Amino acid sequence: MFALSVARRYLLSNPAQTGLLISGVALGVMAFVFITALIQGLAIRLTDDVTANSAHVSLEPPTRVARVLPSPDADVESTAIVSTFQRRQIRAWSSTVALLRSETSVSAISPQISGSAFLVKGEAVAPVAVTAIDPLGLDAISPISTEIVSGDSGLGADGILIGVRLAENLGLSAGQPVLFRTDRGVDRLLIVRGIFQTGLQSLDERVAYLSIQTARPLFLLPEGVTNIEVKLVDPARAREFAAFMAEATGLRATSWQQKNANLEGALAAQAQTGTLIQIFSLISVLIGIASALSLSANRRRGEVGIMRAFGVSKRFIAAVFVLQGLLIGMVGASLGCVGGFALCSWLATMTKPDGTTALPIAPNEGGYVAVFLLTTLGAVLASVIPARSAARLDPLEAIQQ
Amino acid sequence: MSAVLDARGIGMTFRNGDELTEVLKGVDLKLEPGELAALLGASGSGKSTLLSIVGLLLRPTLGTIIIGGQHVEGLSELERAQFRNQRLGFIFQFHHLLPDFTATENVAFPAAAPAGGITPAMRSRARELLVRVGLSDRMDFPATRLSGGQKQRVAIARALMNKPDLVLADEPTGSLDRVAAEQVLDLMREVNREDKTTFLICTHDEHVAARCTRRVTLKDGRVEGVLASQ
Ligand SMILES: Nc1ncnc2c1ncn2[C@@H]1O[C@H](COP(=O)(O)OP(=O)(O)OP(=O)(O)O)[C@@H](O)[C@H]1O
Ligand SMILES: [Mg+2]
Repeated sequence: MFALSVARRYLLSNPAQTGLLISGVALGVMAFVFITALIQGLAIRLTDDVTANSAHVSLEPPTRVARVLPSPDADVESTAIVSTFQRRQIRAWSSTVALLRSETSVSAISPQISGSAFLVKGEAVAPVAVTAIDPLGLDAISPISTEIVSGDSGLGADGILIGVRLAENLGLSAGQPVLFRTDRGVDRLLIVRGIFQTGLQSLDERVAYLSIQTARPLFLLPEGVTNIEVKLVDPARAREFAAFMAEATGLRATSWQQKNANLEGALAAQAQTGTLIQIFSLISVLIGIASALSLSANRRRGEVGIMRAFGVSKRFIAAVFVLQGLLIGMVGASLGCVGGFALCSWLATMTKPDGTTALPIAPNEGGYVAVFLLTTLGAVLASVIPARSAARLDPLEAIQQ
Repeated sequence: MSAVLDARGIGMTFRNGDELTEVLKGVDLKLEPGELAALLGASGSGKSTLLSIVGLLLRPTLGTIIIGGQHVEGLSELERAQFRNQRLGFIFQFHHLLPDFTATENVAFPAAAPAGGITPAMRSRARELLVRVGLSDRMDFPATRLSGGQKQRVAIARALMNKPDLVLADEPTGSLDRVAAEQVLDLMREVNREDKTTFLICTHDEHVAARCTRRVTLKDGRVEGVLASQ
């Protein structure tokens, strides 16, 4: 197409100016890519952090009112309600576990007894949230054994694992005994087998792990469990899976998304901010293209006039300017995508002094296809105004100037 | 053989707000094939205006124009552009070459734009024309690196590219020195003689007019010595 080679010639006729214009477009596209990759990266990291160290679906007994009526062993339960001493529990947990095992989407299952207790060391008393689990499945939900900083993760019959801050507060170290007092008023001397550090203050200060066998007499639960924690192969499907389990078992099933509703809100707000920045970077790119082409169309009035006098069609003239916009958009967007990817990849390798990555940026999530298409399309639209004004030029006026 | 140009009763009145300027008051002009006509007249007498009207760059307020046997009043804007492209050639006082193209490309442009590209045939015709205007050693020069006289010769070659019936030249030597003007004039005379291409050359220059085959003088909005048709 001849208009294309004219457009190319026009762009190459002033390499410095064209280079500057293309750099401007590329920078705008890089800003778009950067913000997209950063926001995607943040979302991925936050989601990963949450899903890596916590259950994806938690199963608990339903509220009592809901449970009493349909329960097959209604007699036992109705007496149980009367006793405030009786905890809510899942009695038929082994059938639930069997059901979970048969589901291929489930990657880990952890039946637990969760409860509250106090650790007493001399004068010092500290409340703890107790998670009692099968020692063989210690790492099923979060990798506790990798977070042990002192002692080891072997629980045994009288062992307890506590967080590093709790250990500090009570002046405890691995191997030392500590008095364990449950909210049922049962006391037992346990040995601190290991001290873990997750980096999360609330966990390191408040959580303790026991073997489920040790916990049964302490929490007066000879058979049942209080909750079953489940991990899925694909955490994104937790909501559906929770609904399915609730339906299938009558238990209360909570997905990690439901537990972290504020996280979802934060991610949505973040995405909105990102969209705003994306829109502004695109608009500035398009304004740049439109104004550069308007200047060029104005500078070339005489030439356009003579072309029109020679009978070159308005469409041809318009095409020359629209194609300039298209070329600038495509080249600028390509360079911007390459540059943006390089920038994001470089930023992703940057580490803080402690070795963790400084920016949670996801170089592969820069929205490259979207920004390329939007910039190219936008560039064409931005060139329509200068193209029309060039095409509408009265040849006589332009020549006589 | 029919006339190349038959313009009758051309009237042109410019309107600027409430002010009307009647520049042409019934111009009759007929050009036979092979004529080399000089269009003379005082400054402001309407020479350029008439040339633009005949060149289909301006619509007259009155009158009919037949070029090469075809009435042009009824043509649409696009058809007028095509007509200019195929039947007319233009030479202006300021060459208006495309600065980003070589001499050859400039000459080929009127053929290349509607065809979608410069074909080898176009290129060789452009080169022949450049040889003819004496620029065989400047064919691949960018337009910006040519002298004023050379540029005007390229402009002449460009006007001839599509083998027009009529070439319209507005002060073609107006911005050239004596020697360059002489060369350009000789060139137009030669093309006129050899190809029987019809020229209408608008000029102030008696010297130019003297070497044309015919003189047409505009005065008071009419062609001098010719009675206006009603
Ligand atoms: N667009 C226009 N609007 C109003 N008046 C115009 C317009 N174009 C030309 N004129 C007027 O028409 C008259 C003739 O102009 P034209 O350019 O045809 O003269 P000319 O004979 O070519 O003069 P010169 O020899 O100086 O080039 C002038 O008085 C000019 O002011
Ligand atoms: Mg004039």
